Amino acid sequence: MSANTYDAIVIGSGISGGWAAKELTQKGLKTIMLERGRNIEHIKDYVNATKDPWEFPHRGGRTQKMIDDYPVLKRDYPLNETNLDYWASDKDSPYTEIKRFDWFRGYHVGGRSLMWGRQSYRWADVDFEANLKDGIAVDWPIRYKDIAPWYSYAEQFAGISGNKDGLPILPDGDFMPPMEMNVVEKDVSKRLKEFYKEARHMIIGRTANITVPHNNRTNCQYRNKCWLGCPFGAYFSTQSATLPAAMATGNLTVRPWSIVTKILYDKDTKKAKGVEVLDAETNKTYEYFAKIVFVNASTINSAWILMNSATDVWEGGLGSSSGELGHNLMDHHLNVSAYGRIEGYEDKYYFGRRANGFYIPRYRNLNGEKRDYIRGFGYQGSASREGWSRDIAELNIGGAFKDALTEPGSWHIGMGAFGETLPYHENKVTIDKTKKDKWGLPVVAIDAELKANELKMRIDMEKDGKEMLEAIGAKDVQTSSTNPFLGRGIHEMGTARMGRDPKTSVLNEWNQVWDAKNVFVTDGSCMTSAACQNPSLTYMALTARAANHAVEILKKGEI
Amino acid sequence: MDRRTVIKNLALIIGGAALLPACSQDKAKSKVALKNIDITADQEQLIGNVAETIIPKTTTPGAKDLQLHLFVLKMVDDCYKKEDQQAFVTGMGHFADQSQKLYSKTFDQLDTKTREVFLLDIEKEGKAEEEAARKNSDKKDAAPATPPAGKYSPELKKFYSIVKRQTINGYTNSKYFMTKEVVYELVPGRYNAHFPYKQKQAV
Repeated sequence: MSANTYDAIVIGSGISGGWAAKELTQKGLKTIMLERGRNIEHIKDYVNATKDPWEFPHRGGRTQKMIDDYPVLKRDYPLNETNLDYWASDKDSPYTEIKRFDWFRGYHVGGRSLMWGRQSYRWADVDFEANLKDGIAVDWPIRYKDIAPWYSYAEQFAGISGNKDGLPILPDGDFMPPMEMNVVEKDVSKRLKEFYKEARHMIIGRTANITVPHNNRTNCQYRNKCWLGCPFGAYFSTQSATLPAAMATGNLTVRPWSIVTKILYDKDTKKAKGVEVLDAETNKTYEYFAKIVFVNASTINSAWILMNSATDVWEGGLGSSSGELGHNLMDHHLNVSAYGRIEGYEDKYYFGRRANGFYIPRYRNLNGEKRDYIRGFGYQGSASREGWSRDIAELNIGGAFKDALTEPGSWHIGMGAFGETLPYHENKVTIDKTKKDKWGLPVVAIDAELKANELKMRIDMEKDGKEMLEAIGAKDVQTSSTNPFLGRGIHEMGTARMGRDPKTSVLNEWNQVWDAKNVFVTDGSCMTSAACQNPSLTYMALTARAANHAVEILKKGEI
Repeated sequence: MDRRTVIKNLALIIGGAALLPACSQDKAKSKVALKNIDITADQEQLIGNVAETIIPKTTTPGAKDLQLHLFVLKMVDDCYKKEDQQAFVTGMGHFADQSQKLYSKTFDQLDTKTREVFLLDIEKEGKAEEEAARKNSDKKDAAPATPPAGKYSPELKKFYSIVKRQTINGYTNSKYFMTKEVVYELVPGRYNAHFPYKQKQAV
């Protein structure tokens, strides 16, 4: 057995890659996890996590230099002074936008598990059945009952705080104690339920922040600085959770600076035998070999790797025989929000910075309702008291103004919608051979857009937001609907979808590539539809499920 | 030259400048290292006085004590587009001129009350324009609005709004404010969803 031979290779170290590494190593497989970027060591490398706000030279803002250096990241909130090092360089790793697609990436150990939003929701049968019922794309090869035990498994290990709300659209899970709504949110939740006669609900967000100590991790300290990395390990990340568990087995090797350029496919066995790696520091090429390969490079990059592999057998790459590899790119469509003022509660405030908000689960196109679009959307938001930025009438400068700045302003409530995007064959990624990245590798071209169904849905997303806020008594309600583009949800999905038929899907029900059964793809690319819930918990569950299956059939000698 | 000497010289220059005509070409540079904009010690003092009018020293520290004017300059230098930086510098000139025109004094020579009147008048004009623009955008077929010629140039208003915004940004994110005026804790450790609150004063 050569030094470069392992039982399993995991490509990528984000949420799903970390889970793959944990599961495979705990089942006894010698595993190497390949990460294209640098290492970030838990706690030690969270260099800004314990800085006070005034220690940042621009108080967390963005400089013109940052704006020049990050032409994509600058399009939204991720470009900021406090965790700039966690975002991939747009200049080192460019891509082609045939249509605008805001691609926000994390190229380092832990990937976007370090910066993710942590909202964690189960899908329901209505989501898994949707494609079949609507006659859209292909049917999911699994149903809720197939994944439910794996949701529990993932929740128990990751630590998801939440309330058992008993809503069929959003199945309850194995939760830690929920975080608390503040006084205004509690009242608003009651009013919403009454107004819509229990057809709409506002619940506390279910989040991967632990509320009680768990596996040597300290419970959430209400700092709301999660995306700097948590020195308490209070939110789920590769570093806080899956990596230490995998390392504890003694079976894991982590290799940073390892860009996987292709999967090595063996025509005779019809299986992958390993991967080719370009060392991002030395530009040297290496080969690693294993019995199974887990592809967790994130939706778009996983497709890129597959498209670069086995091109001598299939022109479009490994998994392309169905014609679906790289296609059906989805995201959640965002940038529709509503905002209003809540009167009263001047004697009420909150203390601590809760890294969570409320959630309004999907209510459209359910129970027989039929809108002029299919599927639905949910909202995430919070109520809070305004800070200094408010306009204090007649007290715009001077001593009294200065004093007034120390007082909280009136209560406001704001929320943004997350809409489901359908899988369209023509929304796709391809390889652009005319453009190269820093390492001389051809880049991806992204060609995807929102279509009629999403655009009609956005009208409801805006209208409903206003209606609900007015219904619960908010004043001066304003709405905003901007930038109808994909990517901003940072929930890329679908480029190597699961299905029941090798002719129309890239992966089978166990996330195995139909054309190479020892290759498993368990990141967002495996998703057959997008639902409107935040998807990471589903990746965790699918990854654990696939890893379990992989080891079972490996032991049986089937792969 | 050590730091103490620099500051002493600077004080002399600034002190001397007040006796010279407003058009004096004072080449003393700002205390804060700037890469993109050129700011003299005089101009820095002017920004300091504007910031101090917005956040004055009372029983608690004011803008100058907290060096907020230097923070303003740092932000303008690093975080604003070239055209905004240019407008800032031009607007600062207009601001100085306007003080002479309206009050026959430099801003630095004005008493606190007059400084406040001056700044509030700029805010008033800015707000009226915003309001007019908003109303105009509500009307579908309205002809494009020609902004009424106000007392203050667009650059002057830009200059003032940047100084104000960044002065407040600097103040509310200062160590002083976050540790003495409001209770900021790096590690709150808990979330209290029903925190009783008593307004310190009518706002």
